[in-house]
Amino acid sequence: MKFTPHVLGIFTDIYGSFDAMDLPKALLVAIVGFMTVLLVLAMIALFIRLIAFIFSLIEKKATVEIIPVGDSDKKETAPQKVGVSLPDNESQGELELIGVDEATAAMLMALVSYKTEIPLNRLAFRSIRLVEDE
Amino acid sequence: MELITNLLAGLWESSGFTLLTWQNGVMIGVSFVFLFLAIAKKFEPLLLVPIAFGILLANLPGSGIMDDLTLSQAFGGDPATAVAGSHWYDSGVLRILYAGVKSSIFPCLIFLGVGAMTDFGPLLSNPISLLLGAAAQLGIYVAFIIAIILGFTPQEAAAISIIGGADGPTAIWLTGKLASHLLAPIALAAYSYMALIPLIQPPIMKLLTTKKEREVKMTQLRKVSKTEKIVFPVVVLVLIALILPSVVPLLGMLMLGNLFRECGVVDRLSDTAQNAMNNIVVILLGVTVGATANGESFLKPQTLGIVALGLTAFIFSTVGGVLLGKVLYVVTKGKINPLIGAAGVSAVPMAARVAQNEGRKYNPTNFLLMHAMGPNVAGVIGSAVAAGFLLLMFQN
Repeated sequence: MKFTPHVLGIFTDIYGSFDAMDLPKALLVAIVGFMTVLLVLAMIALFIRLIAFIFSLIEKKATVEIIPVGDSDKKETAPQKVGVSLPDNESQGELELIGVDEATAAMLMALVSYKTEIPLNRLAFRSIRLVEDE
Repeated sequence: MELITNLLAGLWESSGFTLLTWQNGVMIGVSFVFLFLAIAKKFEPLLLVPIAFGILLANLPGSGIMDDLTLSQAFGGDPATAVAGSHWYDSGVLRILYAGVKSSIFPCLIFLGVGAMTDFGPLLSNPISLLLGAAAQLGIYVAFIIAIILGFTPQEAAAISIIGGADGPTAIWLTGKLASHLLAPIALAAYSYMALIPLIQPPIMKLLTTKKEREVKMTQLRKVSKTEKIVFPVVVLVLIALILPSVVPLLGMLMLGNLFRECGVVDRLSDTAQNAMNNIVVILLGVTVGATANGESFLKPQTLGIVALGLTAFIFSTVGGVLLGKVLYVVTKGKINPLIGAAGVSAVPMAARVAQNEGRKYNPTNFLLMHAMGPNVAGVIGSAVAAGFLLLMFQN
């Protein structure tokens, strides 16, 4: 048995020809193949976690840098909202969700904003409730 | 009088009626059925209409539309049709276009378009989706083992099994390289089953999960920054290429398309890749793949075997995804709905839609679509990696 690391055709490199394929070898190929896919995709998943971690660190650092040095009193207080307009994609007030998840509520709020042509930052929702069919 | 008789006899002998075989007749009938399914029933019409018309064209006798006249068989045709002294441009028009399939140009360009249409955001916000996309490749390897038992060669078995990846371009790409004589049945099986996903998957999903599992509502996905989305295609491509270089043609184009989409500075290229170019390639790919379904070569018992194996692969891929979903449900203490595992078969976005619809059946307030898109796009990467592995093993 020889194993020459060619770019392609590993099976024939090892076993000489495709005629050598039998059930045990097919099982081996299947198991190794499946493990390869799992391993490669698991590595990508780890890599994504790493990227996310790095970006969260960078963001955290950027947030810390914009707080003025020596202004310790203001760090303790909540952000002052009076007179400050909300971002374009946010609505104001507290919202009670009854039988509705956040994603659905967000979609409904966006729809109301779109249909009424009122920006989200000028809309206040009190509650969104699921109404069951009678 | 003799002139007229000879003329009429000559016209009759050169007409399609004398050349028509029963196999051609059957395939013309099959093309009509596919056209009906595509137009009246709307089964994957964007693919099925060109494929069905390709079948029709290839089985109209005497047209020579798929003949490869070159002595070197440059376009991968039947040596019996070669004519000494012929130029490449003397060959049939669809045979010349078929070079795009043989050379893998069309599948790779389709992947460019798919990349430009794909949002990897759900995958980036929930990387565990990648494991579901990997588990849903199980059917590929189960079908491979069964195909070997049934007596297919390793290359044929590898090409047939990739149907389980539920990814048309990947199936065509691998089959073109390993077993191009099976291209028509494999492509038709792959696309047919993709169209039938809403019928194939729900019973398996229901069988393998409990009502409590199906009702699980997943928490909102984290917001992914634009920079992450730009970095992802570039670095992941490098990572995979270093591990499995054989998969670079497919994944390279997928990631290039995705970079077009995410970088925000080449909107025109992104738009072209998603729309105009993708549509052109779908037409060329569909017609030429359909045209390989010549009656004499297509109507064989092994075609039925391929169709059955394809279905087996699809079923086991769904099983693999759902079973890992159940494992993750236990590991995460009920935070993952196992239904999204079924979306790991890469038919985008059909499989994700099935997960969404099944989830809503048991909990009308459930919104699984974006959660299912993660495994769904991971399945595209997973099936490409599986194809790269099989190519690495079995290419001559």
